[in-house]
Amino acid sequence: MILTWEYPPKRLGKISDHVYILSQGLVKRGHEVEVLAEDDLKPGFEDMSGVKVHRVANPVKTHPMGSILTPVMTASVRMEQEAADIIYYHRQMEDKIDLIHAHEWLTVPTAISLKHAFGLRFVLTLHSLEGHRCGDAFGPLSLAIKEIEEMGVQESVRVIANTQWMKKEIIRYHGKKHGRKISVVQPTKKGWIPKIVSVYKKDVKAN
Amino acid sequence: MLVLQLTWEFPPRIIGGIAPHVSDLSRALKKKGIDVHVITCNFPGAKEYETIDGVEVHRFEAYAASDSFLGWVLRMQKNMEVKASEVISDAGGLDVIHAHDWVSGVAGIELKHLYRKPLVVTMHSTEYGRRNGLHNDLQRSIHEIEGWLCHEAWRIITCSHYMRDHVSWCFHQPGDKIDAIPNGVDAAKWQFPLDYWGIRNRFASENEKIVLFVGRMVLEKGLDVLINALPILLRRGIPAKIVAVSEGPEKEKCQRLAQDTGVGEKVYFTGYIDDDALRALYRVADVAAFPSRFEPFGIVALEAMAAKVPIVVSHVGGLAEIVEHEETGLQVPRDNPEALATAIERILRDENLKNRIVKNAYEKCLRNYDWNRIAEQTLGVYDRVLHEWRSVPWKPT
Repeated sequence: MILTWEYPPKRLGKISDHVYILSQGLVKRGHEVEVLAEDDLKPGFEDMSGVKVHRVANPVKTHPMGSILTPVMTASVRMEQEAADIIYYHRQMEDKIDLIHAHEWLTVPTAISLKHAFGLRFVLTLHSLEGHRCGDAFGPLSLAIKEIEEMGVQESVRVIANTQWMKKEIIRYHGKKHGRKISVVQPTKKGWIPKIVSVYKKDVKAN
Repeated sequence: MLVLQLTWEFPPRIIGGIAPHVSDLSRALKKKGIDVHVITCNFPGAKEYETIDGVEVHRFEAYAASDSFLGWVLRMQKNMEVKASEVISDAGGLDVIHAHDWVSGVAGIELKHLYRKPLVVTMHSTEYGRRNGLHNDLQRSIHEIEGWLCHEAWRIITCSHYMRDHVSWCFHQPGDKIDAIPNGVDAAKWQFPLDYWGIRNRFASENEKIVLFVGRMVLEKGLDVLINALPILLRRGIPAKIVAVSEGPEKEKCQRLAQDTGVGEKVYFTGYIDDDALRALYRVADVAAFPSRFEPFGIVALEAMAAKVPIVVSHVGGLAEIVEHEETGLQVPRDNPEALATAIERILRDENLKNRIVKNAYEKCLRNYDWNRIAEQTLGVYDRVLHEWRSVPWKPT
């Protein structure tokens, strides 16, 4: 089950396309994929060439101006509800979700809740870091986002970085002790999807 | 039956009325054989886990960085929910989730869907009521979260019929989804040996009549109405003195009002005092006055009833339900110092009226506002939602 804040047609940055290509590639290789994405304009279920896409809208529409934190927190509650429904559905079909793949800090709150309620481990891809986006700012919003990012690194079973440089940066921001659980998979290189599958397999075994 | 109580405040962390409410309710439920687990914010000096009269209290790390109060409340509730997951896993399951207000209700929504168990929500107040309308995006956002919570709740509890109608209107909830169950009071706490004159002399001279006010110094509590009633009482030859147990944003305004009306020496502002001192003060008062403009319940009225002090209240919200006019107290129209003065005068002059009111009020207090009875009514709501839950396909698989 992939958790993402954006999935086509919603595009805020490059993560949308990245997750789209990944999910399609996984299905082509015979894996079952449920994508859970935030999308206020297109809530509902869609089967996109075998990828099961569940889009949820934010249950709270009014937020104080200028902060992304509160909409992320309320949407994450709705995302959890959808995830729980998917998990219960699979249980009913006598099959199960093997692993959760969360993308960015935005989906970390949902991943952590699912981990504690269902004992499901999650892999976290960090495409960028709050430390970079805000240039080490110590503003309260930035501190909150860094804290959530940190919780994601702590609680995930594995962190995926897109480049060696990113791995070094994650270590720089979140500590050396996490070095061993960071895998580098470069999505610009051929065969990156099978490589991600091999990363998954380690953690599914551990589950 | 295993019930989770979700609350952001629990003694010794006390912010408002929810902490004592959840504490008393939980202990009364435990006495009825219910397993109660309270999930609440940590607090300096308080243990991470303890049992109080059999109630299991679990405290979680409430600190979370945020750029706003709202952001913190939402992040804090995520920690609350993760803690609850640990508790549920250790306990091997749960039956009912009971959340108190929007500051713990979001965690309730999460747990409801993660575990597919019924969610009961007590709406102690509303943002609309607290702010007398919705004036900015923060207030509108909280209002929307409250509405979301009411939508997700299997049943809603309010502490008065007035609040039931208000919540029904405010969030478009059908009236038959809401149960009005009052707040309670432990009358036994007012039975103790009292040094009557020793206490009384600290607040008034022997010939003065103590008119007690207890409540925050904010517009909705109406202390200004009582201060405006004082010159009228004095003119009629009643040696009244107001003792105001009160703090709040309008303190200066109220003090200035007392000076301007020439009764500055007849109004005693005590500031915050502890529970024991407050109970003693109730018992030496001659009359208690609660001239609120908005009141979801009015627990101070119960306290006065337990202390056997006659009460005068304004005809608003929960107060009007607690006090029956001429029976368990006197009611006056809100915002009316003249009527308030007349009612206070009647009680102070008419011993028979006073005795009748006090006797009826104390009996009502024991009859209607006993925690044992309130726990029974709350249990009735739990039984009902569990019964309904059993008949629907929505279940954990």
